[in-house]
Amino acid sequence: MFCTNCGSAVKDNANFCTACGSAMQHAPVQPAPEPPPAIAPTGVETKCPWCAAEIDASHLSCPRCGATLEAPPVQSASGWAELPGRKDMAKLQFGDSFCQIEGLYVPVADVNLAGSDSIYFTHHILLWKDPQVNITTMPLASGWKRVFAGLPLIMTQAHGPGHIAFSRDAPGEMIALPLQPGEEVDVREHLFMLATHNVAYDWFSSNVWYTTGSGDETETHYPVGMFMDRFSAPQAPGLLLLHAAGNVFVRELAPGQTILVKPTALIFKDPTVQMQLHFEHPRSGFTLWGNWTNRYYWLRLWGPGRVAIQSVFDRSEGENKYLKNCSAATEQHW
Amino acid sequence: MNPAQPIERIQCQWCQGMNPKTALTCVACGAPLDIRNLVSESGWREAPRLRDMTEFQFSSSTCQVEGEIVPVAEIHLGANDSVFFEHHIMLWKDDNVPLTVLQLSGGLKRAFAGMPFIISVATGPGRIAFSRDATGELVVLPLHPGMELDVREHAFLLASHQIDYSFVRVKGLTNILFGGQGMYMDRFVTTGSPGLVLLHGYGNVFERKLKAGESIMVEPGAFLYKDSTVTMEVEFQRLGGLFGGANMSLAKMTGPGRIGIQSMYVHHHTE
Repeated sequence: MFCTNCGSAVKDNANFCTACGSAMQHAPVQPAPEPPPAIAPTGVETKCPWCAAEIDASHLSCPRCGATLEAPPVQSASGWAELPGRKDMAKLQFGDSFCQIEGLYVPVADVNLAGSDSIYFTHHILLWKDPQVNITTMPLASGWKRVFAGLPLIMTQAHGPGHIAFSRDAPGEMIALPLQPGEEVDVREHLFMLATHNVAYDWFSSNVWYTTGSGDETETHYPVGMFMDRFSAPQAPGLLLLHAAGNVFVRELAPGQTILVKPTALIFKDPTVQMQLHFEHPRSGFTLWGNWTNRYYWLRLWGPGRVAIQSVFDRSEGENKYLKNCSAATEQHW
Repeated sequence: MNPAQPIERIQCQWCQGMNPKTALTCVACGAPLDIRNLVSESGWREAPRLRDMTEFQFSSSTCQVEGEIVPVAEIHLGANDSVFFEHHIMLWKDDNVPLTVLQLSGGLKRAFAGMPFIISVATGPGRIAFSRDATGELVVLPLHPGMELDVREHAFLLASHQIDYSFVRVKGLTNILFGGQGMYMDRFVTTGSPGLVLLHGYGNVFERKLKAGESIMVEPGAFLYKDSTVTMEVEFQRLGGLFGGANMSLAKMTGPGRIGIQSMYVHHHTE
C-alpha cells in the first residue's frame, strides 16, 4: 500500500509510514457490500408495470425484473413504451439465486448462483467468474439443424455456487423477462444472453425469406434470421435475459392490429404475434430502373400480443437486388 | 500530522487523495465525493461516473472531462508540463502546442493497423484534447511514486511526463474471438514524483481489490488494467461436447492488488 500523506510505498501491515511517520489508515481490502435497504412490508400488493408480478408496495424496484417502481412507465404518443428505468445495481431474484445488473452503457449481469441453481448462456458473453464456478457445454437436442445452417450454436452451462458475470459488446439495454409457467416468448437469434435452467429452449423456422439474383446466381436472404428462438417455462417460473443494442421499445398490439418494423429491429414477440414480409414501392419518376429494385421492405407484425424493437439495427442485405421469390408477403405501390 | 487534531479533509475513495471538506469532486481524479460508491455484492466497484465538465489537476496542468457517452479529456498543460499518448486519439489542440515523438527504448517494433505504433508527446503551455472512438468511461488513475500499473494495449488515453512507459507482449492472452496471437500490455511506472494515467474503458468499467492469493477468472477481452502485483495466467478451458467441444481461454488474475475490467470487449490488435 501507499502512504496517503507522502505517497511512499509502505508494507501492507505497517501502522506508520516509514518515510514520513504518519499513521496508516487500513482501508478494508474488499469494499463492504452495501447492506440492502431495510424494507418494511406494507402488506399492500402492487403490480410491476413491466412483468406484472404481484409485489409488495414497499419495493423500490421489482425483485423479479429489476424495473424501478419509483417512476411511472414512459410511453410515446404512438403507443411504444420505453423499457422501464433501471437503477444501476438493480437486483433480481430467481430460485435461490440473485442477479445484479451493473453499469449503464454496456450493462453487466452479475449472477450469484446458489448451489442448487444453474443457468445456460450463449457464447462470447462470459465476462468473469469465480474460479470454482464450473462451466460445461450443454447438449442440445436436434442441435444439428442449427449447426448445418452455419450458425455456431453452443450453449454453455454454469453451476452454482458462486458468482459469474456476463455482458455483450455493444452499448444497449439488458432486458429481464421473467417467464411464468405456460408463458412463451419468441426472440430473434443472437439476442439471447442467458436463461435459468428451468427455461426450455426451442427454435422454429422463421419462414421469412426472399431470394434475389438472376439466372442461376440466386441468393436467399433471411431478414429476421433463418430461425427464431422460443423460450418457455414449462413447470417452474424462470428468468430470461436478453441484450438489445441501443434503446428498447415495447408495445401491445390489439387483435388484428398491424405495424411495420425493420426486420433487424425486432427483439422479441409473443407467439400470438404473426409476422411476414411487406414490400413497399415508393412512386418514382424513374420507372426505367424497374419497380423491383426501387423498394423498401419491412416486417409486418400483427396482433394480438406484445412486440419489442431496438433502436440500433443492422442494414438489411440484398435490399437493392432484383427480387426473384419470397415467402408470403404483402405489397404496397404508391 | 497530529492524530488528536480533527482532520478537516475528505479522502477520495477512488484514488485515496485528500480533499478540502467543501470539495464536491476529488482534486486529483475528478471522482464525485458526494455520491455513494456503487459496489456490487460480488465486490466490484464501478469506476466513478465523472460529472460532465469536471476538472482535476496534475502537476501544473488541469484536465477537464467533457461529455458522458464518449467522454473527451481536455488538458490545459502548464508550462514545462507534458503528456504522452497514442497519436490516433488526438481530437483537437491549440496550434502552438508542440508535438514530439517519444523515443522508446529496447528497439521493440510494434505496429497498429499497419501503421507504426508511435507515442507522441505534447508539451505545454496550451490546450490539447483526446478521445477514443466508442462509448465508454474515462478512468483516472493518479500514480504515487513506486506504483506500477499494467494496462491492456490501446486502453490508455494519456499519461503525464513523470511516468515511465514500457510495454511487454503477453503470449496467449487473447481469447477465441481474436485468434490467440497474444497482445501487448503497457506498463506505467512512477519513480520520482506522482503522475497521472488516464484510460478509456469501453462500456462500463469496474474495479476490484483482490486479497493476496484471491483469484478471479476474467475474459481476456475484458481486462483493462491491474497493479503489477496482480499476476495473470491464461487458463485454457475445454468445455467438451459435440465436434470435440468448444474451448475458451480465461485469464486467471490473482491478488494482491487492483484489477479493472470493461464490459465491452473491443480489441484493437497490434502486430
